[in-house]
Amino acid sequence: MIAVHGSVLAQEIEIESPNIAYSAIYPILIVFGVALVGVLVEAFAPRPRRYVVQTVLAAAGLGLAFVGTVLVAGDLPETQNGLARGGIEAEGALAVDGPTLFIWGAILLLSFFSVLLFAERRLESGVTAFAGQAAALPGTEAEREASTRGLEHTEVFPLMLFAVGGMMLFPASNDLLTMFVALEVLSFPLYLLCGLARRRRLLSQEAAVKYFLLGAFASGFFLYGIALVYGYAGTVTLAGIDGAITNRVGGDGLLLAGIGLMAVGLLFKIGAAPFHAWTPDVYQGAPTAVTGFMAACTKVAAFGALLRVFYVAFGGAQWNWMPMMWIVAALTMGVGCVLTLTQTDVKRMLAYSSIAHAGFLLTGFVGVQAATRDSDDMTSLVAVMFYLLAYGFTTLGAFAVVTVVRDSSGEATHLSRWAGLGKQSPVLAGVFALFMLAFLGLPATSGFMAKWAVFTSAWAGDAQLLVIIAVLASVITAFVYIRVIVLMFFADPVGEGPTVAMPSVLTVVTIAAGVVVTVALGVAPQPVLDLAHQAGEFVR
Amino acid sequence: MPLLFPLVVAALLFAIGVYGVLGRRNAVLVLMGVELMLNAVNLNLVAFDAYLRDVLHGGQVLTLYVIAVAAAEVGLGLAIVLVVFRGHGHIDADRMRDLADRDAVDDAIAAESAGESAAPSRSGVAGADPEPVAVTAAVES
Amino acid sequence: MDLYLPILGLAVLGAGFAVVTIVTSALVGPKRYNRAKLDSYECGIEPTPQPAGGGRFPVKYYITAMMFIVFDIEIVFLFPWAVAFDSMGIFALVEMVLFIATVFLAYAYVWRRGGLEWD
Repeated sequence: MIAVHGSVLAQEIEIESPNIAYSAIYPILIVFGVALVGVLVEAFAPRPRRYVVQTVLAAAGLGLAFVGTVLVAGDLPETQNGLARGGIEAEGALAVDGPTLFIWGAILLLSFFSVLLFAERRLESGVTAFAGQAAALPGTEAEREASTRGLEHTEVFPLMLFAVGGMMLFPASNDLLTMFVALEVLSFPLYLLCGLARRRRLLSQEAAVKYFLLGAFASGFFLYGIALVYGYAGTVTLAGIDGAITNRVGGDGLLLAGIGLMAVGLLFKIGAAPFHAWTPDVYQGAPTAVTGFMAACTKVAAFGALLRVFYVAFGGAQWNWMPMMWIVAALTMGVGCVLTLTQTDVKRMLAYSSIAHAGFLLTGFVGVQAATRDSDDMTSLVAVMFYLLAYGFTTLGAFAVVTVVRDSSGEATHLSRWAGLGKQSPVLAGVFALFMLAFLGLPATSGFMAKWAVFTSAWAGDAQLLVIIAVLASVITAFVYIRVIVLMFFADPVGEGPTVAMPSVLTVVTIAAGVVVTVALGVAPQPVLDLAHQAGEFVR
Repeated sequence: MPLLFPLVVAALLFAIGVYGVLGRRNAVLVLMGVELMLNAVNLNLVAFDAYLRDVLHGGQVLTLYVIAVAAAEVGLGLAIVLVVFRGHGHIDADRMRDLADRDAVDDAIAAESAGESAAPSRSGVAGADPEPVAVTAAVES
Repeated sequence: MDLYLPILGLAVLGAGFAVVTIVTSALVGPKRYNRAKLDSYECGIEPTPQPAGGGRFPVKYYITAMMFIVFDIEIVFLFPWAVAFDSMGIFALVEMVLFIATVFLAYAYVWRRGGLEWD
């Protein structure tokens, strides 16, 4: 059937070569290209050299892609009466517009610092925090041999680059096919990375299998949603779906079911309730560097894609999906902040806090405040993008701090072990306290500006009730963050107390970047807000 | 043939897949459930493609991608499941509760299974480090 | 209807071949039964599940199988290209070469890292 159709097709119409503007999409190509070179390095470079080569290659590739993103952003044409900038590239597959480039920039910066975390070697006395030989069983001869020989899985760098490539593709995709492929390209390497911890390997593998099974389950729903939307609109391009909704073709049942199922897949990636169950388990079990990378970058990418799909393709059906998103946002904030209270593990606590933050971000999202020509109000897009950048750096910094607090069995993630940290290492405890205050949203930190931006746009978008819930949730979570600070500075250490290992310059730089961005966006947010504002709306 | 037939078949297949994921404890069978879900979607896509007479064959092209992605997913999934099997000695998704929010029921179950299997490492008591003894940290040189 | 005659013929031929082979080997072949012969056959490895006590399968078999699944499926993307090759010209050719080169990168990795060695 396919073949018959295809040959008829081939005779009837001459298929023209697609017009691909490489000048607009080369940042993605750089990332994927460097990832492929990384695979070659794994295949052909001698083992002792791989670590240095891979680290330099990954960092340089991400840096280069960031420069490329800035250059592309420099000459974006204005469209839609100056409300948006950019264009649709690669025959409608990718939308390279202001928001896309802002998100690319955020992802590339965050993943650059994640590479530094991945490459940290001093904390494990000369090897990375990833398994020497993932296939070897913990506690066996093969494992011991791998660790005495100092084996490392330097594959983590190409894997991470593939994930970054997928993350860049995800919010930029302008049709559902590209979006599905991007979702899987960003997910698959993450599933593997989760299971590669050097210490606590069984927990790490459990995290990997849980993340994989639930992720595959959620992407099944996402795909079913795509199929139903395709059945409704007869096309997979976002603009085509928007057109179909505007002209009210076909049955609404297909559309609504499709929107709902696609939302499941996207909300899963974001970690919104009731699709959040994987988040704490995976965040706790995965190697902390990977957790930081996931918490920061996946959230940015997935929110970018959620915004694009729901604003560009499903904007016309706004009144249909709005109630659903209201409930999800309220539920996410509720679950996130209540369950944060009960946690005794730092990584789990940060995971639940990330769920709560997903709820705040969703609050900004349901405001649906679009830009207009003559007002300079905060749009939902600007607010959410600013929040993502601020939250990404804070959370990456917080997980970087977690890698440094250790005892004899590795990272000391249990909260009771953190008691008295302030006496032992005031600087580190102070830094972590800063991150906690930013999560809380204290003025003069990035968290305050981010929450202010999101709540303003949501308030203007008639989501006042949700804003009130969000403020209440913030107050409840404040209790948790303050408790951690009190624990670190005013409690006596249990037993010997934790030791703060001195990391190499790589982790120090990452933590410093987190601190600088957290403070800078809190004190002087205007340049970044302006940048997000200039990015404009999504192109259609 | 009316469009409804393939759609109903696809919906049923999808539902069977969902049941497989939710009802099965063995991770490989869960994986098979996921594959069933993806294939149900393929059927849906091809049916819509034929029904809509899509000139660009968006549905069929997407189906090809889904097939490829599903294969990659199986490869990856089996690798993860295999390594988990070798580490844990089982691939029972329900029994993987070293990472989980703990409450009284869990602790009771954990204590019970610890008594049965005489594995004192899996104490699972809230507050205790949930790390099993088998995960001895790699020996540093 | 004439169009389907060859298919019908092929089906008859196939069925006939199967029947003839089985019947002939049953009539002509020597009959020496032993344990190995009565076992079920699974691609050259010990049938699963193995008797109690063993219960482990050779992992190498799974690696090969996984690799087969992953590489085998790439051909899916060659079909549409092959069908529309005439009308797509040099651009599609270059794209396909790039695609296959990418697949070969993965192959090179597997090969260099010993994924193809059975023992």
